[in-house]
Amino acid sequence: MNTASLTPARPALARRGGKEMSDLGFAMTVIVAVYALNTLIIGVPLGYSFWLSLHDTNAILRTEEFVGTDLYGEVLADPAVIDAIWRSLGFVAMCVAGSFAAALGISLVLNEEMPLRGLVRGLALLPWAMSQVVTATVFSFLLNPSFGALTGLLAPLGLANAATVWLSSDWALFWVALAFVWHVAPLGSFFYLAALQTIPRDLYRAARVDGAGPVSRFRHITLPHLKHTTLIVLVVMTVEAVRQFDLLFSLTRGGPGTSTQILPLLIFRYNFEFSKYGLASAAAFLLTVLSLLLATAYFMLIRKKRPQGDSHAK
Amino acid sequence: MRNDAAQVTGEGWRPWLVGAGVALVAFWSLFPIYWTLKASFMDESAIIMGVAHNAGGYTFDNYLRVLGLSSSDSIFGGQTKAIMTGFVNSALVALPAAAAGTAIATLAGYVLGRFEFPFKGPLLYVLLASRTLPPIALLIPYYVFFAAIGLAGSLFGLWIVYLTAVIPLLSWVLMGYFASLPVEIERAARMDGCTRWQMLRHVTLPMALPGIAAAFIIAFLVGWNDLLFAIVLTGGTSAQTLSASLLGLSPLMPGFRADLGLFAAASMLAALPPLALAMLFQRFITNLNIVDPVTSNTD
Repeated sequence: MNTASLTPARPALARRGGKEMSDLGFAMTVIVAVYALNTLIIGVPLGYSFWLSLHDTNAILRTEEFVGTDLYGEVLADPAVIDAIWRSLGFVAMCVAGSFAAALGISLVLNEEMPLRGLVRGLALLPWAMSQVVTATVFSFLLNPSFGALTGLLAPLGLANAATVWLSSDWALFWVALAFVWHVAPLGSFFYLAALQTIPRDLYRAARVDGAGPVSRFRHITLPHLKHTTLIVLVVMTVEAVRQFDLLFSLTRGGPGTSTQILPLLIFRYNFEFSKYGLASAAAFLLTVLSLLLATAYFMLIRKKRPQGDSHAK
Repeated sequence: MRNDAAQVTGEGWRPWLVGAGVALVAFWSLFPIYWTLKASFMDESAIIMGVAHNAGGYTFDNYLRVLGLSSSDSIFGGQTKAIMTGFVNSALVALPAAAAGTAIATLAGYVLGRFEFPFKGPLLYVLLASRTLPPIALLIPYYVFFAAIGLAGSLFGLWIVYLTAVIPLLSWVLMGYFASLPVEIERAARMDGCTRWQMLRHVTLPMALPGIAAAFIIAFLVGWNDLLFAIVLTGGTSAQTLSASLLGLSPLMPGFRADLGLFAAASMLAALPPLALAMLFQRFITNLNIVDPVTSNTD
């Protein structure tokens, strides 16, 4: 945190006449206004959602009955929810591992000196700029068993059967995770790119003089510098994967069967297909608690000052 | 400089490795898009025969049908009209949401990035927590609210919902951006007798314009690309946005014979504005440092 050092001249500014608002007054006015707005549009709905989760609503009779935490118990006893939670965990694990690897790889390439680097970076950004609905379109064309690229690639090699196996429901979660990785990796790569640009060039030069090869330079200079960013990338990707809805909804709608029905999709079905508002709210609230835990981890990571020794550690 | 160094240490292979890496990144990023783009210029029957071979030659017909300029379209007239309406609706909600969200977040980001005040830590935590909320958790209460007060199926309702996503995200991002701008110029302006608003208008805003522009684009993408809120709050109504309309063309939708060429063309058209913006403003977006605003300039 270096914001304090940005306004050391505050007394000098404040001396300028009493008519104008002080720095603190100005800051507090803006903060109170913005947080009041956020409370209204985010806090109140969340509170309402919590209230819904404590009531059994009947959509037809329009009645609400207070049931305490019964719905939470019901949610956690529902095998469909347990299945969805396990599937979510698998999905998140694949997404986080995949997007970490892809983001790091892409950023290492984009950090190199090259002609037209701006253009290359722009191209690498494209999958992220595309909506998840269009990402789903793109992957449905790639993976379609009859005319997709994967089939087109494998059929001439005599592997048409392999393609059928890979595109079966056993692999569905893997493919949607791959689509997610494709979509979200550019974001992580820009986190890494920002970190890579702060590594002093001198370190590499000195290491070369000392005879360190490219592999050991990467291991002893690049990787230690990326430790902090890696933690943040892992948390951000986890958050994104846990929140994930659009891509799966438009690519598989949770299918085939329920093979890609992760928690947010199940909540969606509870609410909008079965009108179980209370149950859906309870499940959504559990998801909210999970995301709060992730936010806490994220917050502690960034509040913790980057350790001084980090950059030079082995 | 790097080339000299490479020669000194005999790393002549390096440019080749970088070249291979660029090729790989380009293939990874572009091939999936290329595949659908190719299909979008093909006839329905040719797509089913296999996009790789493309027996039927290329045609603009899919695009003409999306734009309502083709006479060969009969069954899908309703769906293509929905795409065009979706385009307009998406612009009508995403642009104002981005404008309002960016304006509010600029103020918030400036204050958070420049000043110390009581309870700043907890307030930052609240901001971050609202940024990580799962959208589905907000959708359910908004859905019930809007149904009750008659805002379901309206762009205004969707606009409010997008602000819930845009304000925390951009306040966070712009906080880091403002903290990275030099405070000395502002201080000098105040010393020279500018009032706070004069300083903000004539010094701070011009200086921060690249970051604010990038934030605006990110906010626009949030609204333009959203599906979940759009499909629940506007799906099937006259306010239906582009993502929801696109999904209506998807082969996945039950009980509906899909037109793959039309679907591909509509998807590519829908992706055009975000892709163009990302290419044009790549440098601004990259420089925003979305990840780590609080510690980004402690090095």
